[in-house]
Amino acid sequence: MFTRPFRYERAERLAEASDLLRRYGEDAKVIAGGQSLMPLINLGLAAPHVVIDISRADQDGGPRTIGSDNGYLTIGTLVTHSRLAADQVAARMQPLLGAAAARIGNSRVRNRGTLGGSLAHSDPAAELPLAMVALGAEYEVSNGEQARYIRAEEFHLGFLTTPLEADELIISARVPSLGPGWGWAFQEFSRRDGDFALAAAAALVRSSGGAIVESRVAVGGVNDRPVRLADIEIALTGATTEEAADRFGAIRGIDPVSDTGASAAYRAHLAQVLVKRTVIEACQRSEAAHV
Amino acid sequence: MTGAERAGIRTSKPDELRVVRQPLPRHDQAEKIAGSTRYAADLALAHMLHARLVRSPVPSAKVTRRDATEALAVPGVVAVLFGEDVPHNLIRVDVPGQAVEVAALKASMEVLATDRVRFHGEPVALVVAETEDALAEACDLVEIDYADLPAVFEPAEALQVGAPAVHDQGNMLSEWNIDTGDIDAAFATAEVVVEGSYQTQAVDHAYLEPEAGVGWLDDEGVLNLRVATQVVEHYRDVARILGIPEARVRVTAPYVGGGFGGKEDMTVEPYVAMAVWRTRRPVRMQWTRQESLLARPKRHRMRMEYRTAARADGTILGQDIQITADAGAYAHLSALVLLYSSVHACGPYKTGAVRLRARCAYTNNPPTSAFRGFGGMQVVFGYESQMDVLARRLGLSAAEIRKQNALSRGDVLPVGQPIETEVQLAETIDAVVSRAGPKPPPSGPRKVTGRGIASNMQSYGRLTWLNDSAAAWVGFQLDGSLSVRCGVPDIGGGQASSLAQIASEVLAIPMEAITVHFGDSALTPLAGTTTATRQLLMSGNAVYEASMQLREQILCAVGAKTERSAESLRLEPGRIVGGGVDVSLGDALLTCRRANVPIEALRTYFGPKGTPVIRELRAERVFPDFTFGTHLCDLEVDLDTGQVTVLRYIAAHDVGRAINPQSVAGQISGGAVQGLGMALLEEVVVEEGLNMTSGFFQYMIPTATDVPDIEAVVLESGEGMGPFGARGIGEPSIGPPVAAVASAIHDALGSRPTVLPITPERVLACASGLTSRGPALPDGLISVDIRRPTFERLSAACAYRMIASRSFSHARCSSTLSRKCASADRASGWPGRHDRPLRDVSTDDRLLRSAESGRASPAPVRNPGG
Amino acid sequence: MSSPGSTDVGRSLAVHMTVNGRPITRVAGAHFTLLRWLRDVAGVTDPKYGCGEGICGSCTVLVDGAAVSSCLVLAAQVDGAEVATASGLCEPDGSLGPLQRAFHEHHAAQCGFCTPGMLMAAAAMLADGRPRSRAEIRSELHGNLCRCTGYGPIVDAVEAAQRAVRAASGPTGPTASAEAAR
Repeated sequence: MFTRPFRYERAERLAEASDLLRRYGEDAKVIAGGQSLMPLINLGLAAPHVVIDISRADQDGGPRTIGSDNGYLTIGTLVTHSRLAADQVAARMQPLLGAAAARIGNSRVRNRGTLGGSLAHSDPAAELPLAMVALGAEYEVSNGEQARYIRAEEFHLGFLTTPLEADELIISARVPSLGPGWGWAFQEFSRRDGDFALAAAAALVRSSGGAIVESRVAVGGVNDRPVRLADIEIALTGATTEEAADRFGAIRGIDPVSDTGASAAYRAHLAQVLVKRTVIEACQRSEAAHV
Repeated sequence: MTGAERAGIRTSKPDELRVVRQPLPRHDQAEKIAGSTRYAADLALAHMLHARLVRSPVPSAKVTRRDATEALAVPGVVAVLFGEDVPHNLIRVDVPGQAVEVAALKASMEVLATDRVRFHGEPVALVVAETEDALAEACDLVEIDYADLPAVFEPAEALQVGAPAVHDQGNMLSEWNIDTGDIDAAFATAEVVVEGSYQTQAVDHAYLEPEAGVGWLDDEGVLNLRVATQVVEHYRDVARILGIPEARVRVTAPYVGGGFGGKEDMTVEPYVAMAVWRTRRPVRMQWTRQESLLARPKRHRMRMEYRTAARADGTILGQDIQITADAGAYAHLSALVLLYSSVHACGPYKTGAVRLRARCAYTNNPPTSAFRGFGGMQVVFGYESQMDVLARRLGLSAAEIRKQNALSRGDVLPVGQPIETEVQLAETIDAVVSRAGPKPPPSGPRKVTGRGIASNMQSYGRLTWLNDSAAAWVGFQLDGSLSVRCGVPDIGGGQASSLAQIASEVLAIPMEAITVHFGDSALTPLAGTTTATRQLLMSGNAVYEASMQLREQILCAVGAKTERSAESLRLEPGRIVGGGVDVSLGDALLTCRRANVPIEALRTYFGPKGTPVIRELRAERVFPDFTFGTHLCDLEVDLDTGQVTVLRYIAAHDVGRAINPQSVAGQISGGAVQGLGMALLEEVVVEEGLNMTSGFFQYMIPTATDVPDIEAVVLESGEGMGPFGARGIGEPSIGPPVAAVASAIHDALGSRPTVLPITPERVLACASGLTSRGPALPDGLISVDIRRPTFERLSAACAYRMIASRSFSHARCSSTLSRKCASADRASGWPGRHDRPLRDVSTDDRLLRSAESGRASPAPVRNPGG
Repeated sequence: MSSPGSTDVGRSLAVHMTVNGRPITRVAGAHFTLLRWLRDVAGVTDPKYGCGEGICGSCTVLVDGAAVSSCLVLAAQVDGAEVATASGLCEPDGSLGPLQRAFHEHHAAQCGFCTPGMLMAAAAMLADGRPRSRAEIRSELHGNLCRCTGYGPIVDAVEAAQRAVRAASGPTGPTASAEAAR
């Protein structure tokens, strides 16, 4: 209810948004889906002088497309979560991503929220940053003049912190597709559907001859960024599905918080449970992929 | 006289009722579904101003400076008011809606705090502006300085000698004692004694409509307030605050978007009134959800100690009960809430001897007041948990032990009130158990299921010594359509619609021909509060009696004209028939007019009277009557996560007579879900007096996926005191869920939760008892400390401030934004460390980590035992 | 900060929308949310303010057929869009439309405050013609909070409306479904 007057600028192209960011500096905020920014504005906790709307930029262009490029799934920054969750190309090439997107908030959030918005916001409990880290994705970032690529693991630096410069926007994400023999799983736990996840886990497993050959495992919601669990990946090598759950002990490298939703200890416990469940589910999918 | 006897209209043959007991869609529903109903905030008037409160960001402080200069300089700001601007700066509660004062229960709070604030969110200033934008800016700029005072946050601590005094007269707000029979003998002869300590949490009403209202001066200069309220009689309080005659204030109640007791005390009324009175212009005030969650009075947090003495066959010999309740910073209705708890504390059972000590203390927590159940609800957790534990100890079933001890007509409650009505407790138990069938099996490995039942009794109608009354006017139009005028506010429970149904039944008028005018303190006869499940009893009976009187008038007039006795005539739809007479309603009305017989009637229904209570609770009649019921809950527990899924929920109540069966089922269903929310999800979390759950993303109420279909089973004994033998059903169904869920978890895990809400963490703590004999729990299960650890500083405001300081495309904090956020924190009352500017990202991260790592071991208890 | 309501270029602008079939153009502050624009500027008061956080669902409207929280969308962002609110579900003569009748018959409103948002969430569900189980209906409604009914009657109403849509669709398929879902 606290919305304060601001100047509204609409960018027809993403590059234009970067121009506007350079012009207005710290007083400006970019809005795409608005599902993170608007609650802040409504609660009086953010009061930008200028809002740069990119929600309608590039109507016919890359920012809205989902495609494939050399075995990679490419997703434009303005693709909404509901589109991503329903997209057939994405489901075929990298089903973990759509599964993660389908768990975001409620249908209204998914109808407006965008890939770029979620990634740039970098909430530690968010589904897409976790999925991207697990998948080893990289983001194309541009200020309208130059573009660069940043790997997801190096993008989500901390609590709501990214290496984006003041005039840069995420343009697209490039996601490795699910190779032959790989299984995947994405699970999160929250008190109610659609709440911020207390903990979440993503796992990808490739097994061969009944044993895990390689894996990628990551958790979210239990640190200030998604955490890739390299030591668990190492421990899983060679395990069968039945052995997988017993192959690793307590998760290291997490640092959960206590808040009104749950205690740190419980979050850590949940992370443990979810990692085991996703590893097992991914193993089962991997075995099914061989059949 | 029993309810059945006084019903008059042949309740022995309920099938003869035409309209009552029909599931008719309520007449207000069509407009609500069409989207055309105008709630309090939907009204806009020309030249309307907007008003907002500036609230204290700290729980206990002296107010050392207040300066509105900068705020007044904002273009569009019309006024900034402080306590000194209020003619009589006191909101005093005697007993809302009544004229009779009860000396022991006066409670007061300033309209706007002047020199001291006592809770986080207390109003200190009122800003009035032309636009909502100007308002938001100005609220930020009102400068108020606070100097922290000592504070106390636990009732038990508050009652100790030397505790900081929340109010000058000390922290003990009220106490009630009950002593019945020989309690020591009961425990001396007992074959089993069960002890239990139970805690319920503060919860919020969380109605979907935040508080709102519009005020204006009409052509007579009368101050009009159209507000979302459960009580139009607050016009008297507003008049007193402004120092103007009561007849110069009018309160009207539109359809309310949920009340549940949260709109029973005044909300926006005094502030809108002040703004209108000062500016002479229309004013609208809309509270934000965050404001509502922050500062509206909550349900009382209670700690209950029960000792139950029984024989080996299950007969209860005595109960020794201690209740300590948190009243928060201001009394509001706390003393009455505690009274309800005391009277209901033993439940619907014969209890033998009773010793009860109930106390309610001031603290610097958010104030507490009325909430559906009104104290009779929390004690269900106590007495039903005890019954369940007792049953297990003795090898009896949950159903057996309850039926064995159930009250019946003629028994006397510990407070001294005899039960004069039929008690269908056993029938409600049988109803849920037989409907439930066998307990469902778990859906997979690492899951267990459990079943629990819980019974309750809940009063309906107000305390008898409040001399409750309600008036209604019923009158025909010349064309045979009917008008009903009654001051009852309609808060969504079909209050107004039921009156139409009752009038329709008595006068044989179709529902479509009836218009109900309600909720107008100037133009409709006053019917008192829509609270205490009293409206069907009070205004229902008032409309019933007025309709009966009107019917009598018409039949007598027609009888005189046709030389028949009135007894030989009866009203049929559109006609008066009997004894060879067949007269149209239109002709009958003409006959009345010609004979100077009024075609309207005004009646006041007086509730049952009782003697006023004193601290030592002993009264022959405290409440008019009670509603009894039983719920059954089947649930499944995930042993890894502690998540609880409610699989099935059945709720049975004896409602006496279901005036509108769909309404009754709806009340039962809605109340049960609200109860499940309190059981599993909801908690107002207050840390050192700071309310940490002032957003819907933190304060979690049940969604459609958190609850199953509620199967409502409606029993009709016909023995209620309301019209046609109805009992009240607004409140009773919120009581049992907390106990039914706890018992179901006990059934599933072998250990029961005694602290609410039953979070997954607390469930895991119960489940850890399974380690030795059940499925192995996963490695790395940390010994879950069920005492809630001190919360990290990352409260909502801190989190959002961090977010605000890092935009999507910035990696560094903006100092401008952080200043603005800090001042927004101060103005809006969000918790946070206002003195620390966020300049450096890395500093913030370090601060987070240091706060986290500073806890080497589980933190000290913050909530008692919880 | 300059005064609110000033006509500084870029701080207020003209926004055009078709609301329930009615074209509306208004000049308002650029910072107005769609909810505020509808309620205070266009006079369409059936979407409600419930929380401002996008969680309660009382402000749910359809923008170009998709359900959104109107409290989280700037009016300027949906300039030119078609917006549907609950009052638009009524028949031209003001009587209740099919979905609303289902709500009425199943007693799906008590205080009625969540109802306009619930109706639009349900309308969005029915528009794709895909039949949903009770569990799926509950799942798609989980973003709309109700404090009065306990949700059962609302699920009943949506199920009934769904049946009516399928009965009406017949051989003409999705077109008739979308019509009947209005």
